[in-house]
Order: sequence, then C-alpha cells, then structure tokens
Amino acid sequence: MGLLNPQNFIYGLSLALLVLIYLRSRSRPTIEVSSLMLFDEAPAPVASVRHVRIDPLFWLEMATLTALTLAIAGLYVMRPPSPGHGRSHALVFDLGAGMSAREGSGTRLDQARREAMEIINQAPVGDEFSVIAYALEAQVRHPQTANLASLRKALGDLVPMAVPARTAALRAALIRARIASEIDLFADRPPATAILADAASAARVNFHLVGSGDSNLAIVSLDPGIPGATRGRAVIRNFSARSHPCELAIDLGNNEEFHQTLMLAPREQVVVPFGPIRTGGVLHARILTPDAIDADNNRYAYAPSDRPAQVLVLSPDAAVRDDIARVLLAVNANFQIETADPAKYLAQANASGPNAKPLELAVMHDCYVPAAGAASTLLIYPPHLVKNLPYAAAIGISVQGTLASADIRSYGMGEAPGIESLTLGATRIVAIPEWMDLIATATGPGHSSIPLAAIGRAAGGPVGVLAFDVRDHLLLAPDHLDALVLTVDLIKQLTAPRDILIVPTGADVSVPATGTARVTQPDASARTVTADKWGHVRIRPLQAGRYTVESGGETTQVFANYYDAAESDLGAKSQAEANAPAQKAAAASNAQSAREAQPLVFILIALALLALTIESALLIGHAGRWGMRHV
Amino acid sequence: MLEARAFEPEFLRKLDRLVLGIKRARTVRAGQRALGRIQGLGIEPENFKQYAPGDDLRFLDWNAFARLDELMLRTYRADRQVEVTALVDASASMGLPERDDKLGLALAIGASLAYIGMADNDAVRIGAFSMHRGAMKFDATPFHRRRESYLNFRPFVMSVKAGGETRLGAAVDQLLLQRRPAGTVVVISDFLMNESDVEDALKRLVAARHEVKVVHVMGEQESTASYPSGLFRVRDAESGEVRETVLGPATAPALRRKVEKIVARMREICTTHAITYAQAFGAGNLESIMERELPALGIVR
Repeated sequence: MGLLNPQNFIYGLSLALLVLIYLRSRSRPTIEVSSLMLFDEAPAPVASVRHVRIDPLFWLEMATLTALTLAIAGLYVMRPPSPGHGRSHALVFDLGAGMSAREGSGTRLDQARREAMEIINQAPVGDEFSVIAYALEAQVRHPQTANLASLRKALGDLVPMAVPARTAALRAALIRARIASEIDLFADRPPATAILADAASAARVNFHLVGSGDSNLAIVSLDPGIPGATRGRAVIRNFSARSHPCELAIDLGNNEEFHQTLMLAPREQVVVPFGPIRTGGVLHARILTPDAIDADNNRYAYAPSDRPAQVLVLSPDAAVRDDIARVLLAVNANFQIETADPAKYLAQANASGPNAKPLELAVMHDCYVPAAGAASTLLIYPPHLVKNLPYAAAIGISVQGTLASADIRSYGMGEAPGIESLTLGATRIVAIPEWMDLIATATGPGHSSIPLAAIGRAAGGPVGVLAFDVRDHLLLAPDHLDALVLTVDLIKQLTAPRDILIVPTGADVSVPATGTARVTQPDASARTVTADKWGHVRIRPLQAGRYTVESGGETTQVFANYYDAAESDLGAKSQAEANAPAQKAAAASNAQSAREAQPLVFILIALALLALTIESALLIGHAGRWGMRHV
Repeated sequence: MLEARAFEPEFLRKLDRLVLGIKRARTVRAGQRALGRIQGLGIEPENFKQYAPGDDLRFLDWNAFARLDELMLRTYRADRQVEVTALVDASASMGLPERDDKLGLALAIGASLAYIGMADNDAVRIGAFSMHRGAMKFDATPFHRRRESYLNFRPFVMSVKAGGETRLGAAVDQLLLQRRPAGTVVVISDFLMNESDVEDALKRLVAARHEVKVVHVMGEQESTASYPSGLFRVRDAESGEVRETVLGPATAPALRRKVEKIVARMREICTTHAITYAQAFGAGNLESIMERELPALGIVR
C-alpha cells in the first residue's frame, strides 16, 4: 500500500477545515431568556452542553473528505495482476562499451540479457514487452509485443558498441519507454537519481545493475612521433584498483616496432616511449594482456611518411608565409616548403616546366591559385574572387563577405581538445559545399553561425578551409593557441594518405565512392552502401578497429579508435557499494515485480458517494422533523 | 422605550385623578416629650380638649380661655408624611425578552406611582437595584414631594439599564440600612428568582413596618411562551447558564404553566404577609394597568 501522489495529501487540510466548520456550526441559534427557571418544565428533551458530541453527520462528512483525499493522493495496494490483464514492460539496455566487459563466462550485456529473459519468463501470460537500447542515441529495437520468441531474438541481437553511453541517450530511451507501465533498466553503472525520478513519474522503474569487476587497461593515446626523428609515445592507463600487468605491442604495418610488458600500479597512467619508428605508415598499438574491455586495447595512429614532400605556401604577406612554414615544419620535418607571393608564383610555375616535383600540399592564404596542382589544398582566409573568377568547381566554396572579427563557437573534431570561445580577427563568410565536413563554426556580428573550418575530399583531392585570417602572427600568438591547434589538425588530415582515415568511434565518416561501396566492419561483417549525389558514402563506426570501404576498385581503410575515460573505468564494484541503497531498492522492486499497483480511486470515490448519500438521507429526515431552518 | 411614556403630559393627565392607596398616615415625631404624648404639627384644627398639666402651652387656645375662663387646648391634625419608595428591579432578566421591554414597563409604573404619590405631597423616590459582580448596586433618587419636581425623576429613569443578577434580599438590606422612617415600598420586579429569597426580603420589609406593595412585571412573549420552535441553545441572561433544548408545540403550555406557578406562589406569599400584589403583564398594557388594574387592587385609588 502506498500513495502515488503523496504531495496531494495536502488536501487533507480539508479535514481540519471541516472540524472548524463543525465547531462553528455547533453554535446553534441561541435564545437569551430572562431565566432558565421558565424552562424547568419544558417537556422536550433538554441536552446539556458537551464539548465533544458524536454527530453522525460530522463523521459522515469526515469519512467523505478522507476518502476523497486518499483518492487524490493516489492510494494504491500491491496485488497480483488479475488473469488476462496484460501489463506493458519496457526493457532498456545500456549498449555502451562498458557492457562489453567480460566477467566470468560472458559479458555484462549477457548478464543483463539473462536477467531480462528471467523477467520475461516469469511474467504472466498476456504481458507485453518492448526492447530499447541506448549508447550514443536511443533506439527501439523491438516494439511492444507479447511474442516471446521475437523478444528473445531481439535480446539476442543486442551487441555492445565501442562508444560511451550518453546521458542524453538514456533520457531519450526512458522517454520512449514511458508508454509502458513498468520499465526495467539494465546498465553497468547507476544513472543519476533525477533521471530515474523523471521516468518514475510516468512508470514504475526497476534498475538492474550488472557487472562488478574493475580490471581494465586502456590505451589512452598514441603519438607515432616523426619517423626517424622523434620518439613516439603511448599512454596506458590502469583502471583497476589492483596492480595490473600490461603487455604492450606496437606494430607498423606487419612489423612489430615495440613489445614490452609493464606492471601498472593501481589506477596508474604511464607514458610509454618507443621508437623513433623507421618509416611512416599506420601504427597499431595493442594491449595483449587479457582484460575486461577489448575495444580500448587497440589504437591506431598514422605516422607521416619520412619521404620528402613538397609543400607550397602562397600568401601576399611575407610574415604569414613564414609563420605557416614554421607550422608545417613542426607537423612534419620532412616537408620541403616553398613559399611565394601569389602574384609572382605564376611566373615561377610556368618556368618550372614538366620536371617540377608534385606538390603534396598547397597552402593558400588570402589567395587562390588554381594552377598550383597540389594533391591537397588548404585555403586560409580565402579571397572573395580570384581575378573576377569564381572558385573552381573542384573547390566548390564561395565567399560571401568578411567580418571584422568572429568568435569560435564550437569545434567538432573528436580527438582535438575542445575550444572555448576565442575571438579571432578578420574572418571570411564562406559557404561550403555539402560534401565538406564542418569542423568548427564561429559567431560574428549579425551571424549566429558561420563555417570556420571545414574539410572534404573533392575529386581533385582533399580540400580544407580556414576562414580566419592569420596575419599579425596569429598562429604563433600564445593567446590564440586554439587557432594553431585547428590549423595543425587540418594540415595533418590533409597530408594523411587518401586511403587511410583514423577516426574516433561514433564519428561520422565520409568516404569518396562511386556508385555503391562495400563496407567491411571489424567483425568481418559486410554491407553495401550507396554513394550520395556528391560521390560519398557516410559510415559511422560503432566498433573499434579497421573498416574497409571498397568502391570502384579503390579501397579506403577507416581505423576507428575507442577510448572514454568514464566508460572504460569499470569501477562498478565501488559504485555499486556506494549505491547500495539503490541496489536494495531495485532488488525490492524486483521482488515486487510480480505484483502491480492497483489504485483505489474508484473504491474511495464510491465510499465518498455512499457517505454523502447517507448524510443526505439523514438531512432529509432532519428537515422533516425540525424544519429546513434547522438543517 | 416605554419609561419615556411616564413623562408624557397626555399620560400624566390620566394619572391626575389617581391617588396612592396608602392605608396609614403617620405623624412626624417633634422631639421626645416627657409624657410621651404626641402632638400633631399640622395646621388643620382637629379638636379641643381640656388642658392637662404637661401639655404644650403653645397650643393653649387663649381666646377660649378669655371667653370661657377654661384652659382649652387646641389640637391639630398632623400633616401626612409618608415616604414612598418605588423599588424597581434592574437586573438582566428585566431586559429580556427585548421586545417585551419589561424594564421600561417597570420604570414607567414606578414613575407613574411616584407621580401619583406626589398628589398628596408624599415624599417619593425611585430606586433601582441589581447585583453586579457580587456587589449590590442600589441607586435611588432623592425624595421629591411636589409635582413640580416630578421631572427631576426623568434623568434617573432614563438612565437605568438592565444588567446583573436579581438579589432582592440584598437590595432590601441596603434599603433598611438607610434607616428611613417606615413608609411605603412598592417592589416592581419579574420575581424570576429564588422564592425563598423573595419571601425573606418581603418579610423583612414588612417587619420594618413598611407598607409593601408588589407589582409583578412580566413580558407578553414571556408570559405566553411565544417562542419560535426548533433546536435552540437557551442562555440564562443573569447566570449565563446554557441549555440546549427543543422548542416546539408542547413547550408553550409548559412555559405558561411555569409562569402561572410563579404567579400563584407570589400571590400566596403576598397574601400571607398582607402585601398588596398586582400583576403588570405586557408592556402594551401600561395605561390599562395604571387606570384599571392598580386601582382595582387598591394600590392607587
């Protein structure tokens, strides 16, 4: 027995009001007489004054108000569901990377699946279930159904993802589950109390905490260094409360570059230097020691090639050319950089002839030289028009104006640090084509959101755009470090090989394709994706590892890295201990799961009506005896 | 307010022909005499008698001695000097029922009797008594003899308000403590009090050689028990005691029986102690009470 809306118990104040009204009404019409002596022989019954009098009308009204108050407060009793009365359940599963943690013979998701199957098996006939999963976003995996076979299949199809479970996705999942009368939430860490409270306002929520181990190692980051020049670094973290061995191997292609076994102290994070590696390529770091989560035991990084690469820097400002050259050398010391004023470069290009080396990258500041012929192009502060001609179709951008200043608003690159608000100087208003991925946006006077940085793969090669001006040594100014980070990030992406992409899991990846593309996932499953009108297929890697996209005889490799400090930290045991009351509550609610709350609203209202009817009958009789004036 | 009626000229004209029905005329003692004989000090000759030693030589009829050579003593009829006190009950019970205006009736009767008493130049006063917070409050006007000063009663009569408890015995004690000559005391009350208290008080007045007359005042609603029917809380105006009771068709006869019992008991007490008893029921009957009821009972003539 309990109350669904205990706050409505405030209506119980009406009882106090009734008592006041009753006491007030007890003051019957008073006649002041000269002497009570005259009434000594009055034959009518004379009642002496009493402070408490049992008045049936009062008790009936009290019963009426009590019943109505309890009805408004939502009095209910727990009772077994009546046969044939189907309840609706929602089974909500956390599919974050933490649920893939191995414990015993299975994963945490397997444990959750078993508990869910137990609930389904114990449910009375006629109960309906839905399956909802969430990680990056919520998804209804199976709508409400009483078909147990399809439910079991839907549960069996659940696979944990190599992404963190987002709180917003949990909220969305619980909102979608609200149509059910009872929600069973399976997760490896307790959600915020407020989230459960919101969901509990619409349905009964049972939380099932799964998992207890904390033995997990993760590769936090991998820096390949510069081949033949600087050492690389791998950062390893032990999330366990115990010391943990870690056998680390780093491969470059098919060659093992590094292999070492470390002993990590409890919850220690170590930096493991290696190399420098001999050549460039895809570097793969692996933790060979078995631990709970596999997804964070692998990490990929691309080491730039050590071969000399020609880079052209064009800018009308000599200081800018110098700054950009410094930045390029910092990114790759093997770059052979040529700087020129765009006005003079044409003559040089014409003079270079057919023996000129191919350009790896052309960086154009406040200019556009279509004849540069670089494999990739970075446009910085692109001008409005180039000699009254629009940009080439391969570039696809258009400049619509210039702002005196702009503030960086958001920065969407996964592996780069978040950029807070930073005021830049002059900034172009650039319209980017749809096939370009927007990396950063800015706000300016009269503009709530303008593109600040974008990158895409055009037919002629990768193209990057930075809309802000870098004059006045902006890239080297300590106060504008974020602008430098953004520039370096774009340069790295533009100089990366075309057929290799290294992205974080959960990121949207756009790969050039013609017609259809065959996408092979890390688990060797394959699917066919149709390219969009810009000749790109978009995939969202939810597993850590290598994806291959084959289209038109070309193969692009997409390496997806997973690491999330919160999700990989499997300190679920200590959290479970900290949330022991919540677990007990969940256990208690599970014990009652075979019973359902039955509101007593109708019974209470019927009682109130009965009491009012009896009171009316008494009043009618009273009126017949003493007259209406005394009712 | 009915008491104002007692000062209306039209009403007073009807009282002009009435005189107070006092049975005994008393003389005023003119000091202690050795022989103890009493000589009237009036101016109206009464008789002649032979002089006897010790008689007051001031009353010798010297003309008769000169003519008859006998010492003759002229005697005079003494002037009547009766103090009349109209004692009005001003307790809270006299104020209820309000529409009956019992106190107004009692004050009007008291003032009327004072006016009538002034016809014979009797010394008249009006007093009102009630018990307030355990102390007897007895207020009275000075004695007035001549009708020219009748209007001096008006401020007092108009100022009397009903309140407090009825303690007739305590009021009589106050009256007797003033040690006034025995006179006439007209007690005007509803006598809704303890019978023994009433009888004891009246007995003490009689014992003090006062000529006592009782006017029993009662309201019309009260005497006819014309209350609305239904459930009521009934509160005693004097004691504050509350009873919840049901007033219905059977209540009125019971109340009337009780009133009749009270009247019968009062009549019995008065008869026993040779007290003139008169009823004055109903404020609307003031004129008929003064012109017919009281003369019929000998209170006025």
